[in-house]
Amino acid sequence: MDILATYWNLIPVSLAQGAVYAFVALGVMIPFRLLNLPDLTAEGSFPLGAAVCAAMLAAGFGIAPAMLFAVLAGALAGVVTAVIHLTFKVTSLLAGIIVLTMLFSVNIRVMGKPNTALFSYETLFTAMLGSDGGSPLTQFALLAVLLALVCGTLYWFLHTELGLAMRAVGSNQLMGRAQGLSTSKYVIAGLAMAGCLAALGGATMAQYQSYADVNMGVGVLVIGLAGTILGEAILGRDKLLRQILAPIVGSLFYFQFVAMALSLGFKPSDLKLLTGLFVLCALGFPILRSRWRSRV
Amino acid sequence: MPETQAGVHVAGLRKTFFPGTVQEKTALNGVSFDLAPGEFAIVIGSNGAGKSTTLNAISGELPLDAGTVAIKGRDVTKQPAFKRAGVMSRVFQDPMLGTAASLTIEENLSISARRGATRSFRSGLKKADRDRFRAALEVLGLGLENRMQDQVSLLSGGQRQSLTLIMATINAPDLLLLDEHTAALDPRAAELVVNATLKTVGRQNITTLMITHNMEQAIAHGDRLLMMHEGQVILDLDRAEKAKLTSADLVSRFHDVVSDRMLLN
Ligand SMILES: Nc1ncnc2c1ncn2[C@@H]1O[C@H](COP(=O)(O)OP(=O)(O)O)[C@@H](O)[C@H]1O
Ligand SMILES: [Mg+2]
Repeated sequence: MDILATYWNLIPVSLAQGAVYAFVALGVMIPFRLLNLPDLTAEGSFPLGAAVCAAMLAAGFGIAPAMLFAVLAGALAGVVTAVIHLTFKVTSLLAGIIVLTMLFSVNIRVMGKPNTALFSYETLFTAMLGSDGGSPLTQFALLAVLLALVCGTLYWFLHTELGLAMRAVGSNQLMGRAQGLSTSKYVIAGLAMAGCLAALGGATMAQYQSYADVNMGVGVLVIGLAGTILGEAILGRDKLLRQILAPIVGSLFYFQFVAMALSLGFKPSDLKLLTGLFVLCALGFPILRSRWRSRV
Repeated sequence: MPETQAGVHVAGLRKTFFPGTVQEKTALNGVSFDLAPGEFAIVIGSNGAGKSTTLNAISGELPLDAGTVAIKGRDVTKQPAFKRAGVMSRVFQDPMLGTAASLTIEENLSISARRGATRSFRSGLKKADRDRFRAALEVLGLGLENRMQDQVSLLSGGQRQSLTLIMATINAPDLLLLDEHTAALDPRAAELVVNATLKTVGRQNITTLMITHNMEQAIAHGDRLLMMHEGQVILDLDRAEKAKLTSADLVSRFHDVVSDRMLLN
């Protein structure tokens, strides 16, 4: 009974957290699913977004410019990864690792120190939901509106001529070239979009917890991946709308599981292990299943 | 050369893979030919003769060591493949390669309908597009016009290849490149795709270069026959010469040319 009550109390907070991480999950889904190009840059662009946003808020800028520049910085990180991948012919994974490593130093430079507290500054949450930053449920509602806007824009873009072309390049680069598409241009644009979303997640997180820290990116990629995989298991990915909603729905469910794990007595520091195991099971399950089937 | 100006000009294509190593392989050793506008040329030749390499070089997918490719008098040799796609289109041997599997049929057609044009933030699928795509698919007689919102991954190889053909010809290209595009299909699907090819190419009078390994096809269709061997065009027959040809003739002509060359070497 105790466990249930603990979980019940955690639901609102875990919904809000899931909504914050949903931005990153979207930013992870784009390279992994739409571009078929595994990319780890999110581990660096998430804290980059947080650092830029926090540094600008602390310097007295408004919330809108702070978030806008955070998003632009994330786009730039994505572009750098794409250009390294395309110019030096290194795999996108390695290009992302190089960029996220470099971003660690950049993020400290941006803030001038390894972390920035925002408790005494106005944030998205205090501005919209009152000086206490709102209750977890109102925070969730605010984030849900933001997510709906982002998803709507993404859905619209992916049906424009340019968006269709980007998806075609992600699906089949040879076909893309044969149909007159500059594959590099679309890879760069796709990773830039992914960077925007990861950085938006970071900027939102910094304001949500009133705190930005260079280490806050550790593990976000696997969280984003876990959310995407979980959402795909729930919604499927046969239609584009489902593919776009999957990371969001998955992220919300993922943080429910996190809340349950915590109520069962796991420590927050155990979560990365559990998440890794979850992703491993999700990736391994189809392979084990087909192996079992072929054996029977 | 007025003919060259208007049609396709291919001259002196050379390509050596892995030069200066033990695996050195000269795939193209001076391939030259011109195609008149609307000409339908068939390319045959033994395995490894350099047929695919020739097409890949013309499309820009493969960088050349030397040679020139010009379409309608414009030299495209220095253009990357995606730029050349403005004037030429392709159907590959592997039915999986010509379409984007995760997009729907109409989305694939939308991509190809804008081949060579600049793309913008306009909607990729308007009502007028759909009507045009439906009409183009109806020609195939496969019922794909009723499945325009299905993902291409749901289609069979023959259906995908037919769709690729429609995508390649929905805006008549200045040159259509077909690389054994029915070789991977079962006989029935292959026949459907060949018929669709003849119909579309004939109706729009598209200049076409089609590789085939099927002698009957090579003899029955086309205005021109090019035979390749060891990276060169060793036989070039026009429509009249081709009309007199039988399968057995072709084989003996091939052996004649090849043995003459062996003697010369
Ligand atoms: N990408 C490549 N790398 C190395 N060798 C190649 C490559 N493509 C083709 N070749 C070689 O070039 C020669 C011509 O190949 P190809 O043009 O594919 O012949 P085909 O006439 O059967 O289509 C063959 O010997 C082939 O092994
Ligand atoms: Mg070949």
